[in-house]
Amino acid sequence: MDLYPLYLTIKVSFTATVFTVAFGFILAWVMAKREFFGKAVLDIVIMQPLVIPPTVLGYYLLGAFGRSSFLGRFLEDAFGLQIVFTWKGAVIASFISSLPLFVKPARAALEGVGSELEDAARLLGKTELQVIKDITLPLAWRGIVAGAVMAFARATGEFGATLMVAGNIPALTQTLPIAIYDAVQAGDAQTANVLVGVITLFSFIVLYIAGRFTKGRF
Amino acid sequence: MDLGFDIRKSYGEFRIDVSLSLNEDLLVLFGPSGAGKTLILKMISGIVRPDEGSVIIGTEKVFDSKTGVEKPIRERRIGYLFQDYALFPHMTVFENIAYGVNAKQGGADAKVKELISLTRLTGLEARYPRELSGGQKQRCALARTLASEPRVLLLDEPFSALDYQVREKLRADLLRIHDAYPITTILVTHDLEEAFMLGRRIAVINNGRIEQAGLREDVFYRPATRDVARFIGTRNIFTGTVAGLGDGQVIITNPDLGVIKAFMPEGRGPAIGSEVSFCIRPEEILVIRPDKVLDSRVQDNIIEGEIVSATGKGSTQSLFLKVGKGDTLLKVELPNFVVRKLTLAIGRVIRVSLKRENIWVINR
Repeated sequence: MDLYPLYLTIKVSFTATVFTVAFGFILAWVMAKREFFGKAVLDIVIMQPLVIPPTVLGYYLLGAFGRSSFLGRFLEDAFGLQIVFTWKGAVIASFISSLPLFVKPARAALEGVGSELEDAARLLGKTELQVIKDITLPLAWRGIVAGAVMAFARATGEFGATLMVAGNIPALTQTLPIAIYDAVQAGDAQTANVLVGVITLFSFIVLYIAGRFTKGRF
Repeated sequence: MDLGFDIRKSYGEFRIDVSLSLNEDLLVLFGPSGAGKTLILKMISGIVRPDEGSVIIGTEKVFDSKTGVEKPIRERRIGYLFQDYALFPHMTVFENIAYGVNAKQGGADAKVKELISLTRLTGLEARYPRELSGGQKQRCALARTLASEPRVLLLDEPFSALDYQVREKLRADLLRIHDAYPITTILVTHDLEEAFMLGRRIAVINNGRIEQAGLREDVFYRPATRDVARFIGTRNIFTGTVAGLGDGQVIITNPDLGVIKAFMPEGRGPAIGSEVSFCIRPEEILVIRPDKVLDSRVQDNIIEGEIVSATGKGSTQSLFLKVGKGDTLLKVELPNFVVRKLTLAIGRVIRVSLKRENIWVINR
């Protein structure tokens, strides 16, 4: 049996989660700790992937990264980077769709660290980075890890947007959910059953881990 | 280190406008809840930015709206004790205190140990804040603040979350620690007893403004305004008309109390015929025993009244006397044993003396 879809899914999801956590942490911190004009609008934009159909999201991404777009052409001309119909496209699709699942719990966790504790550290002469490292992160890490696990799980299950942006090219962009779809279409029940089993078990484990992290608090 | 500030900030209708300067001493900022006391501390420390004004520590301007100077919180070197202490919940007592020590200086461990013994936390070093009592948390927060060697110490209602018995002990602790580390300190409280016990200097704040600032004795016995007199528990505040003046005293008439004589330093006398307020603290009023022959010292300001209510308060009793024909009540505070000995029960008519030197005339 072809295990490439499993390998690709893990590679795509892992890469996407790294971007989600790095970029999402900054977003979550800014949303939790700063007041600025347009905050409500930014919040709605970040949460969009939760509610719009994945195909619509994929359509937007195609428009943004396709060869006919400015960004797509720029990336290809300047860096030789091709997004559409490559595994990188799948990473971007997973990254965007899992971002809100990370930002929401991470933001709540960061907000949960009272400003008084952070002010107390500042009063002791600590810089903003020290405050984040010594106070905010140690008190909010459970929510952040839980968010990262959720984001990873969402990325492994990404289907619609990935299909639009990366396509369904066996041994190139065919991730696990797409491979399941393919197997069902081809009437290959055995492959479909195994893949479905793998992904179901995986989802159970992920939610269990996420639950463990969100429970205990200081 | 001297501290001076002159700051203004508006929140809709509420406006804070205060200026004060103090040196290496303990100043109590006393006033009712909602007077803006905490906000003043937050503006000095940089947690809240004033609309305008300046904050000066020593010779360094840490905030000045005119020149645009605004030092970040971490550079002000101000110690701040939050009302609920803000201990770091993921650090032990030792780690909390050590976090305040500047890493660049050596001997951090020795310093933490010294502070732990100073604040009576020996043996609790490995505990987490959730495993401490209220009083221990407060002392741990104080030790953490002192560890950072602040130039100024701001204490926001440091005893309000503690039991009565613990409070008394910790107040004594605070004075002892202040003697060991004589840092310019502002302590905020709405507790009258605490203000009196801790503040050599007191600033009475109301509605965002300083009503009076000065030595404890001045504020308590010579209130500048009726509001101050009210806040410091004077309770017996009356108005009257000036009928005579001279020989270091003033004669005031009040429909219920009659003719009242009070000492009045030369030079600050109000005009004859003008209306003034005057007050006397409940514990300064003397009860005249029925069988006693009056001596000359207490012949002035003898007032007769009927006891209409009595409330006990630990070691003392507060009696309210109805005097005159109106509804003027005079509050008299007496030790319990005096009340028992003279059998002062509700319904009895007694005579009291308001000694001239205990009456304070409020000019404004």
